Amino acid sequence: MRFSYNWLKEMALGLATEPRDLMNLITLKTAECEGLHKVGQHFSQVVAAKVLQVEPLGSGRNRKTLIDAGPLGQHTVVCGAPNCRPGVITVWVPPGTRLEDQVIGVASIDGVSSAGMLASGRELGINRDHEGILEIEAEPGALIPGCQPDFVIEVDNKSLTHRPDLWGHHGMAREVAAILGLVLRDPVHLTQLPQGASPFRVSVEDSALCPRYSALVVENVQVRPSPLWLQYRLQAIGLNPINNVVDVTNYVMAELGQPMHAFDAEQLAGDTIFVRPARDGEPFDALNDESYRLTPAALVIADKQGAIALAGVIGGKHSAISQTTTKLVLESANFQAANIRRTSVRLKLRTDASQRFEKSQDPANTVRALARAVELLEIVSPGCRVCGGVADAAAERPLPPPIELPVDWLIRKLGREIAPEQARQILEALQFGVDQPSPRVLTVRVPSWRATKDISIKDDLVEEIGRMIGYDTITPTAPVVPTTPPYQDPRRSFLRRLRHLVAAQGFDEVYNYSFVSEELARRFELDPEKHVRVANPISVEQGLMRQSLIPGIWRNVVENSKHWDQFRLFEIGFAIHPRAGSLPEEIPHLTAAIYSRTGDTELLFEMKRLAECVLEGCELRPCPAHGYEHPARTAEVLWREQVVGRLFEFHPRWVETGRAVALDLNLATVESLGKREKRYQPVRRFPSSAFDLSVVVPRRTLVGDLEKVIRQLAGADLDRVTFLRQYEGPPLEEGLKSVSFRITVAAPDHTLSNDEVSAIRERMIRGMRAQGYELRV
Amino acid sequence: MVESQLESLAQSARERIGAAATAEELEAVRVEVLGRKGALAEISKGLGRLSPEDRARIGKLLNLAKNELEALLERRKQEFEEAALRAKLEAEWVDLTLPAPGPRPGVLHPLTQIQEELEDLFTSMGVVVLDGPEVETEYNNFDALNIPPDHPARDMQDTFWLTDGNCLRTHTSCVQVRGMAKLGPPLRMIAPGRVFRNEEVDPSHEHTFYQLEGMMVDRNVSIAHMLYFMKTLLRHIFGREVTVRLRPGYFPFVEPGFELDVQCLICDGQGCPVCKHSGWVELLPCGLVHPNVLRMGGIDPEEWSGFAFGLGLTRLVMMRYGIDDIRYLQSGDLRFLRQF
Ligand SMILES: [Zn+2]
Repeated sequence: MRFSYNWLKEMALGLATEPRDLMNLITLKTAECEGLHKVGQHFSQVVAAKVLQVEPLGSGRNRKTLIDAGPLGQHTVVCGAPNCRPGVITVWVPPGTRLEDQVIGVASIDGVSSAGMLASGRELGINRDHEGILEIEAEPGALIPGCQPDFVIEVDNKSLTHRPDLWGHHGMAREVAAILGLVLRDPVHLTQLPQGASPFRVSVEDSALCPRYSALVVENVQVRPSPLWLQYRLQAIGLNPINNVVDVTNYVMAELGQPMHAFDAEQLAGDTIFVRPARDGEPFDALNDESYRLTPAALVIADKQGAIALAGVIGGKHSAISQTTTKLVLESANFQAANIRRTSVRLKLRTDASQRFEKSQDPANTVRALARAVELLEIVSPGCRVCGGVADAAAERPLPPPIELPVDWLIRKLGREIAPEQARQILEALQFGVDQPSPRVLTVRVPSWRATKDISIKDDLVEEIGRMIGYDTITPTAPVVPTTPPYQDPRRSFLRRLRHLVAAQGFDEVYNYSFVSEELARRFELDPEKHVRVANPISVEQGLMRQSLIPGIWRNVVENSKHWDQFRLFEIGFAIHPRAGSLPEEIPHLTAAIYSRTGDTELLFEMKRLAECVLEGCELRPCPAHGYEHPARTAEVLWREQVVGRLFEFHPRWVETGRAVALDLNLATVESLGKREKRYQPVRRFPSSAFDLSVVVPRRTLVGDLEKVIRQLAGADLDRVTFLRQYEGPPLEEGLKSVSFRITVAAPDHTLSNDEVSAIRERMIRGMRAQGYELRV
Repeated sequence: MVESQLESLAQSARERIGAAATAEELEAVRVEVLGRKGALAEISKGLGRLSPEDRARIGKLLNLAKNELEALLERRKQEFEEAALRAKLEAEWVDLTLPAPGPRPGVLHPLTQIQEELEDLFTSMGVVVLDGPEVETEYNNFDALNIPPDHPARDMQDTFWLTDGNCLRTHTSCVQVRGMAKLGPPLRMIAPGRVFRNEEVDPSHEHTFYQLEGMMVDRNVSIAHMLYFMKTLLRHIFGREVTVRLRPGYFPFVEPGFELDVQCLICDGQGCPVCKHSGWVELLPCGLVHPNVLRMGGIDPEEWSGFAFGLGLTRLVMMRYGIDDIRYLQSGDLRFLRQF
């Protein structure tokens, strides 16, 4: 929302604060200002001038023009505008004037020295017309009537979400007057509104959707451009001047916050305006040249033939004001915020009107706006006449109950002292009604423009008083709180330990998005239909919620392999799985990768080492591979007899520049297996003995399996089994390997004798042979 | 006669020991002179033929010569050993400027680092750290935070909706709802985490970023308490005293609501491009918890009150390290991540 400083000054009487200081005050006390713009600074220099002579110049459009600027003398100006002709009064921009960030000088054009320029409405910031020079009525040499240098303060719309009253200058002027202690002038004169019956009737079907609809008929109107001051005002705050009638409705909206619409009365069928839900499929041609098919969810304004406006959003094309319009129906209505918002969101049609209505406008404002509009119409179209009185369909609206504000409660909320008198003064400056039933209690009546949504409870009044008294007057104070150690979420602690552990092993942490594309999901053999799906994704890349962290990590590998010969990275994040009847399940995963341009099997074992660092005593069990996994280098990770993840090398087609190994652990499963109670075992007191065993087995026999067999056979006296080496080659037959282990044995109560050790060894050799293993003894 | 023989023998042995160039030559001298069949042994064999006085005298001389030569030999031997060791060690020369192999500790993501730092700070202040899901119900994300359907405040956060009717949380504020249900009053909690907004990505906008929500509910919590808490937090974050200001800000789940600005740390409030020449940087939306929110959290607002705030972790990381492109944070690009 853009606010004109001059406009505010018309209502906040005596406003003399510098625009920049005012902007800061508004930011600190009311709403966030985003910027301050100088507007029309040239109006202190540009003057009216009469064109005296026009001579052709060269072959182009430019012509040599002699102008008379009254007391400022006659000047030669080169001008290319088609409407530049003798006798016309236009605007002369003298040399030295800054116009649109450019200083206008004396320029030589086509061999003629041109002193300054003649300007169009757009160049002057009065309207958007650039077809020709602006034609005005004024004495040559005079400043442009009604156009003064101004400043525009831009306020962040978001910070006005709860303030319907601040969508017009009058509301902001009220704030300014309260902040600075100025007198607020009301631009509305309700007494000027004629009384009597209206020639039009208004029929509102559902007063919940339309709490008030006020209309007034005005005839004998002449449609033409607005006076310059009116065009300039609208242009300055970003509204496009169109014609005097439309401009008046926009002016009133910008001043009072009340959106208005003017219908061409001759184009309406019948003498009743209906406010009703649209019929299913009802066509509607809007002023923006779009055609809509409506549903009953939308509220329309209709005559007896059909929709003439989409309530609170946009007017219809057919009944729009045209050059030939002479009789108007002025609409000033109030609509339910939620309904307008839904319609505008559904049709993707945000207008100045819908933006205001969705903030819950004040129904008391409709008739005020009509009064103001009539007053302005009489200025911009002299001779126009109001027909009858206001047709006003207004639902009964009970006054909101007054709010009881105990001053001691207020003090506790603010955290500083405040006298009841001061609180009262602040509220009254903001035009609240205040009674004081007892010395330390105020009873506050909320003005209608703050009562629609904004203020209904005493907490809302804390803000009113706090912001006006100044939050900088509150001294920070330490709260008195119990000193108990806070609860610690075990999962958080677990994930945090894990992050540090994995990083300490040389892995860099990455964060990937929670989204995945359908295509990528499919490539990783995940069914897109079984994913949680985004209904309104930014792009197809972000259509699904990730069910696995592997695609993201794979992408990280591919991208980083362009810059590094080798790296390790990991992510701890959530895989999101749909769950019928409740929120999706968010399963924490650890997914890590090692990449090397030249590495080979050692990468797998380094990753296995990481798995063992995370899960002490975990095992790998080779398993069938997915398409993106190396068919002979893929295993499940087992921990405490449960599958908790996978460790695999990426299929070489997926990582073409080197090799990459990944580990993916389901941390929810890991966490569920929990910590084990630790129990003390007595330290061995008697020395151990060791012997080696070598088993000859087929090449792909798993060393892990052999070790298990050895453990079983060793019996109670086993201390540990250590893998020593494996060997393939002569004298072994092709396809066989020899695997050597060192077996360490010890007894808890004595030193094992040589005979005992030999007995264990013999027993194991027999046992292995019985299971069909060949031993090299 | 024997004496002169002994003396010349000893003299010659001394010279040979001194002249020996290797440990072997030295050993040869030892065998020849001090060995079982060496020259001294020979002389000692002849002692029997001498008179008792001569025997005693010569025997003494013989011992003296033997001790002296043994000591000489031992010293020389040690010299040779020393030299040999020196030579061996010298041969073991290693270029220690060569790079050390093996991985270095990895780097935690800057967002993890700042998050942990803040978690530690809050935990030390007795605050509970909570988590909430990335996918939330519409109720928890909006309604329970006093943002009913069709409330224009829903525009303040472009929302990703899921086909099942849930949404991706647009703020960590939803954890307020969960925290009130889980902890009950009085409570002090924070909830860091990932949030989502349906926004096109550019250097300063992301659809995925990180926030930290904070909430305190107790009896008689005031704006003054909130200010104290915020100042403590900011002093810790920036490692120095910061000047703050509160101004009105609208968030439906707080009343009154504020924007907390920090005096620009780059220019100390003098005005610079970072603060858009205002001297202030908007940092922390906050406010007193709206009574409706307390009520929806099962807490009686007549008895309890509280404050809540939201801290943009992503923004904080960018400020701390001067990161000018938000997209780096989720790029997985190690050229970026290894800098932290
Ligand atoms: Zn600055």
